Amino acid sequence: MTGAAAMLRRWETAMLALLIAIIALNSLDSRYFLSVGNFVNLFQLSIEKSIVALTMTLVIIGGEIDLSVASVMGLAACVMAWTFHQGAPLPLAILLALAAGVLAGLNNAFWIAYVGLPSLAVTLAGLIGYRGVARILLEDRAIGGFPDWFNRLGQQPAIGPLTASIVIFFILFIFFAVVLHFSFLGRLIYVVGSNAQAARYSGVRVAVVKTDLFVSSALVAALAGVLYAARLGSVRGDMADGFELDIITAVLLGGVSIFGGKGTLAGVGLAILVILNLRNGMGLADITGNTQNYVIGGLLILSVLAPNVWEDIRNKWKGRET
Amino acid sequence: MRKYLMSAAACALLALLPQTASAQVATATPGKDVSMVLLPKFLGILPFDQAHKGAEEAAKELKNPTALQFLGPTPQNSVAGQIEIVTNATTQGVKAIMISNNSGDQIVPAAKAAQAKGLKVVTWDSPIPSADGEDVFVAQVDFSDIGKVMADMTLSILGPDGGKFAILSASPDASNQNAWIAAMKTALKDAKYAKLELIDTVYGNDESEKSYTQAQALVDKHPDMKLIMAPTSVGIVAAAKALQDEKLCDKIKVSGLGLPSEMLAYTKNGCAPQFALWSFIDLGYLTYYTAYMLATDAIKAEEGVKFKAGRMGEYSITKDPTRAKGLRVLMGPFTVYNKDNVEAAAK
Repeated sequence: MTGAAAMLRRWETAMLALLIAIIALNSLDSRYFLSVGNFVNLFQLSIEKSIVALTMTLVIIGGEIDLSVASVMGLAACVMAWTFHQGAPLPLAILLALAAGVLAGLNNAFWIAYVGLPSLAVTLAGLIGYRGVARILLEDRAIGGFPDWFNRLGQQPAIGPLTASIVIFFILFIFFAVVLHFSFLGRLIYVVGSNAQAARYSGVRVAVVKTDLFVSSALVAALAGVLYAARLGSVRGDMADGFELDIITAVLLGGVSIFGGKGTLAGVGLAILVILNLRNGMGLADITGNTQNYVIGGLLILSVLAPNVWEDIRNKWKGRET
Repeated sequence: MRKYLMSAAACALLALLPQTASAQVATATPGKDVSMVLLPKFLGILPFDQAHKGAEEAAKELKNPTALQFLGPTPQNSVAGQIEIVTNATTQGVKAIMISNNSGDQIVPAAKAAQAKGLKVVTWDSPIPSADGEDVFVAQVDFSDIGKVMADMTLSILGPDGGKFAILSASPDASNQNAWIAAMKTALKDAKYAKLELIDTVYGNDESEKSYTQAQALVDKHPDMKLIMAPTSVGIVAAAKALQDEKLCDKIKVSGLGLPSEMLAYTKNGCAPQFALWSFIDLGYLTYYTAYMLATDAIKAEEGVKFKAGRMGEYSITKDPTRAKGLRVLMGPFTVYNKDNVEAAAK
């Protein structure tokens, strides 16, 4: 256990070193990098993915995966836009969007936690199904024309230079860090993620823990979808399409084990910063999308390989000693 | 039709007015240092590469010491990618950004922020639908003309008996394609086209594979369909290939907007007997001139302003009749390609 803890700390230290290196390189490369405005932009341009990565961390540590998050984002945004378009006041439309998120989460949880189907399959179905509903609602239209306060919420600074979405990210980060690392539920998530069978035998209500995970994941995704709509000022059916992979990338790069039971929110926070700074730096250096994806893909492979290779080397070393 | 004549008359009047008021035609001052970004819908598509070529030609001619940046997103990430590039350009203090908009009005907040920092925002190929955050749109051809040309090609391929046809478009929110489809629907109301029946519209997102499967799906869904109209250079090739692969070119034809070099084989073998396009090289060239002159204050984005765009001659900024508000520079003209002239153009 202490080995694992030390290992994790090493991971976060490595991420921190990588982050510092990237920031240093970026500031040498572009004179526009080190400015408050650029840092706000850097966060703001991917803030919705960052928010969803928080709950994704809990889900993956709990030994599951939620592939439906991006579709839930799209669904929530479309439910909001559609009800608003039908004449409902926007606050009501937002509540309905969040409710749609909760329903999607309950649906996922039912099949996974109570019927016992694998989350990979269930949420893959969700990815397709929720996106389908979103597209049916909006057809091929784009709906915009939201009230000013809503667009301001997504586009203008709320506190100091920070937008509301960024403030919400930090609040949620602290909230989920407390839940995961300092609460009873958090300990249960690690236990269930390490060995669900053993947890069940020792009296943990595994189904309840999993329901909590999938409902929070979908609710936070729905909130992120609404925030995304506010940032762009208009909604269409393909919103946030494909975001799930970027989100999972951040979580895995953060040192969370895809097999569950291992990882910290701090690691994921650092990984988000690494990805955002890397993308932003490459953007300012006029390096375009394809190359950016290539670099981040390579980083992810390294992140999965490195700990395993390290373990291997260590085991061999130990084998020689004894 | 009457409406169309009226607006044409209004346009003619508008074109006359500034001449009487001031016949001044602005010219560009070469050699000014202006950092500019050319932003296509996404990278890896031939027409956008051609536009880039045209813009580079103009850049060379205007002796701009700062190299033109040609930056684009990946097709899978077009909306978020375009927004990111506009935002980064704003941070970098670029002077002008030229956008082929693929994000509908979702680009507006980023474009407005760019304008607030003093950037000139010129759209080309595909405008911002609401025109918010945009200085001027460089239009390839008049959108209502595109609708008419598409209807004419359909009629000439299918013959006087007409028949059923479907549209295979790009993404559902590509404002240029949507405007052309709307223009075609308007054109179809003319009695001349009474025998043509539009039965379906599908979207291939300007991805070859998706367009290909969408074309196949159209064939399966509508056994009596006689033509697929694809107003996108990606869709038209994919549709022609799908029909050729399924050996259906005798029964179903393809038409639309395409590049001669990509359509050569299909026009020769009869899968796509006619298609149309304008020069993307010229569009890139004119867009660069427009943005350069705006950024160097040689012209203002105002109705009635006239300017000389190098080898392409004189252009003027007018109201955009295809949108509720917004200004445009109209390039034109159109070329319809068939088996007689496609080979020469493909070289």
